[in-house]
Amino acid sequence: MLKKDLILRNPLRQMGYENDDILPEGGFGAVLARAGVGKTALLVQLALNTMLRGKKVLHVSLLDPVNKVDLWYRELFRRLAVQYQIGQIRTLWEDMLPLRFIMTFKVEGFSVPRLQERLNDIMEQGLFSPDMIIIDGLIFDDTSKPVLDALKKMVEKQGLRAWFTVNIHRQVKADADGLPKPLLPADELFDVALLLVTEGNEMHIRDLKTGDIPSPRPVLILDPATMLIKENVAVAS
Amino acid sequence: MKRDLTRIRNIGISAHIDSGKTTLTERILFYTKRIHAIHEVKGKDGVGATMDSMELEKERGITIASAATYCEWSGHEVNIIDTPGHVDFTIEVERSLRVLDGAVLVLCSVGGVQSQSITVDQQMKRYHVPCIAFINKCDRSGANPSRVIEQLRTKLGHNAVALQMPIGLESDFQGIIDLIAMKALYFDGPHGEDIRSEDIPEQLLAEARQKREELIDQASAFSDELTDTILEEKEITTEMIIAALRKGTLERHMTPVIIGSAYKNKGVQLLLNAVAELLPSPEEVKNTALNLDENEAPVTLSSHPEDPIVALAFKLEDGAYGQLTYIRVYQGTIAKGSTIINIRSGKKIKVGRLVRMHADQMEDIEMIQAGYIGALFGIECASGDTFVSPGLNIAMTSMYVPDPVISLAIEPKDNKAQINMSKALQRFTKEDPTFRCHVDAETNETIIEGMGELHLDVYVERMRREYDAEVMTGNPRVAYRETITQRADFNYIHKKQTGGSGQYGRIAGYIEPTAEGDFIFDNQITGGAIPTQYIPACEKGFRQSLAKGPKLEFPITGIKVAINDGAYHAVDSSDMAFQAAARGAFREAYLRAKPVVHEPIMKVVIESPTEFQGAVMGLLNQRRGMIVGAQDEGHMCVVEAQVPLAEMFGFSTVLRSATQGKAQFTMEFALYRQVPQSIAEKIAEDMAAKKKNAA
Repeated sequence: MLKKDLILRNPLRQMGYENDDILPEGGFGAVLARAGVGKTALLVQLALNTMLRGKKVLHVSLLDPVNKVDLWYRELFRRLAVQYQIGQIRTLWEDMLPLRFIMTFKVEGFSVPRLQERLNDIMEQGLFSPDMIIIDGLIFDDTSKPVLDALKKMVEKQGLRAWFTVNIHRQVKADADGLPKPLLPADELFDVALLLVTEGNEMHIRDLKTGDIPSPRPVLILDPATMLIKENVAVAS
Repeated sequence: MKRDLTRIRNIGISAHIDSGKTTLTERILFYTKRIHAIHEVKGKDGVGATMDSMELEKERGITIASAATYCEWSGHEVNIIDTPGHVDFTIEVERSLRVLDGAVLVLCSVGGVQSQSITVDQQMKRYHVPCIAFINKCDRSGANPSRVIEQLRTKLGHNAVALQMPIGLESDFQGIIDLIAMKALYFDGPHGEDIRSEDIPEQLLAEARQKREELIDQASAFSDELTDTILEEKEITTEMIIAALRKGTLERHMTPVIIGSAYKNKGVQLLLNAVAELLPSPEEVKNTALNLDENEAPVTLSSHPEDPIVALAFKLEDGAYGQLTYIRVYQGTIAKGSTIINIRSGKKIKVGRLVRMHADQMEDIEMIQAGYIGALFGIECASGDTFVSPGLNIAMTSMYVPDPVISLAIEPKDNKAQINMSKALQRFTKEDPTFRCHVDAETNETIIEGMGELHLDVYVERMRREYDAEVMTGNPRVAYRETITQRADFNYIHKKQTGGSGQYGRIAGYIEPTAEGDFIFDNQITGGAIPTQYIPACEKGFRQSLAKGPKLEFPITGIKVAINDGAYHAVDSSDMAFQAAARGAFREAYLRAKPVVHEPIMKVVIESPTEFQGAVMGLLNQRRGMIVGAQDEGHMCVVEAQVPLAEMFGFSTVLRSATQGKAQFTMEFALYRQVPQSIAEKIAEDMAAKKKNAA
């Protein structure tokens, strides 16, 4: 019952996606923002929602140690439970924990074959078989295309859905499609791109690739105090 | 006493067992003229090295508890904390690391960086202890300091910088080239006490120049002055190099490497020079305490001798004149006659005798000021206690002591052992707050409790060795707990009429699970259904029921009891009657509240070479472990998991064989979690069998 409440309240549904996964199987999604705006927080909420639906999430971080990533989950889950006044969160949290696996790499030590090797390690022993993968901290520049191609192959082969954080720099201007520059080298690989921008005291989540969603595009707001997605939806002009 | 804090070094000598740490300490004491003869660790003379003050250590040739000793070297006062090399004694190691400002990481030039060196290094990293490495045993066959330096870089990730190179190796190890002064140094005299400085032998000159280049290149990263001097091709002075090395070392961005052979009396004096020149003084280390008035928020200590006192008792020892308490003063000055307060007990203490320790011998001193290490006599306290000036309310260590998660029944073999055992238990419970003991009221067995299997093993072993108390041990038992999962109402009448005044009491209310504490009692009675004077008796009755759950006889936690109705009798009601009513009411409601068993879950962190990551995860999975994550650190990986304590018995052996001894793990209590149904049934069966046997 508790889980159901939380799933139904998933604010991302309000962005007009057909299903809760947002991405198709083998699909790529990106969350773009400047440093410190809340990319990880948004992705962790996506992950929590996936876990609530009983699906497994592999969180790969190239930035933070395991403890810190774990803390993100704990904290956001706690805030989510407070926001929706869900009791007995401990039991729920413990049911969800086995659905998450954190892997951390040093940026310079990360490679797709290495990730594949680690993934095989856990999958072959039946320890963990993810449905969704989050890659936080991958550097997006002109040299990242081969890495993304390799990841795409891996994700497609294993029927996963992959989300990335993309750090954009202050001076970067969006191109004609509205896509900021760092994503451009691999634009065609991505099915969804969410841009986090600060507007006054609020942080707006804009969908840069509308796909089949009818316009006007709904805009979600990330509450800077809790880093949670707010339920009231504004409509973009 | 000298007051120049910049000339004080509080250092630890930390290392893997058998890397020659105790021999090295012995030589340091000899060269600093604290002892006048050298005894070997496993000495033929039967005296043993000076630092190994415990019998057990003497016999095994290992060091278990940290002894603090004082010496002087080239105008510097050096306090040496001899830290244990075994992974199992982590409380002891971590307490030492809290006290020292810098460390010497001793490595064997044959064995190199081994798994336990990795643990020790991890601990130093955690406490931000700057260190220098001493590659010992260069006289041994197979010695290869260059390989060890490479391992320091690759296995431990240190930016290791060689300050020296050997002249000859193995049986041909003659001396050391100092790459800073560019001199060849030889150690003459019966104990290597006379250092002869000569020009570098011709055949080694080119290599020495190249290594000096490397050294200066690495040092220049920490000094603009040195970089400028190199660029301007001016003369580079020794002082410039040392200043740069010191800066890098204090920031933990660099690990200077010294080589030698303590056993052959070579290189120890150079290590002492490095300690004086490169390791920090107490002033250069930021020490923090916890402010108890502000929910243990960290506060920085000043290290000023005039400020209010803050000191930490880090080790206790039984001496001929009573309890000796080793302390480190972080702020203020403790002098004879000063008044200090033990934060844990709140007791006021007047300081009597103050001493400075040198292993088993002592020297009386007048005061111990900020930055210094000393010992107090005749003070009642436990290890880890904080002493402060009246008015302060801060502690050096958290006041939170976790409850034990494992217990073991012990039985003395004879009457003599019985007496010694109780002495030992009294001492251990004082030394270590996580170690507890009690006598089981039903079986009359002495039960010791602690934080893990090894934790208890160490104390049983110490009982035998230090206190001559031969004890037999039972099987370790996990501290399970019971709790309820839903609300259940009760309405219970306790009535007895057996002649004379009877007993009468009725209690109604409910029990329900709570996450806010172990036990909450909520009195919702209005209108005097139960008179106020009987309410405490009701609470007491419920509390009594918690000690042993009706389901499996484990303690019950996380329960709220609310009473909202009841009845009494003017003559027959009494405290006794309401206590009995409360117990009856609890029994009545408990089984309907769907009780479950909880077990302690440990946070297990395994460090392993990457190639064994899959195997390690498999092992954890077999043990009902839930893997939280895996951290890839190049050649090593760290796997973090939550594993039930009941599944962790004998894990070290299994892990060793699965990883060729290359992985190691730490384990600490994390939380209590519900036991799966199948396991709960097995526990119930075991408990039933135990009960049957006892009957």
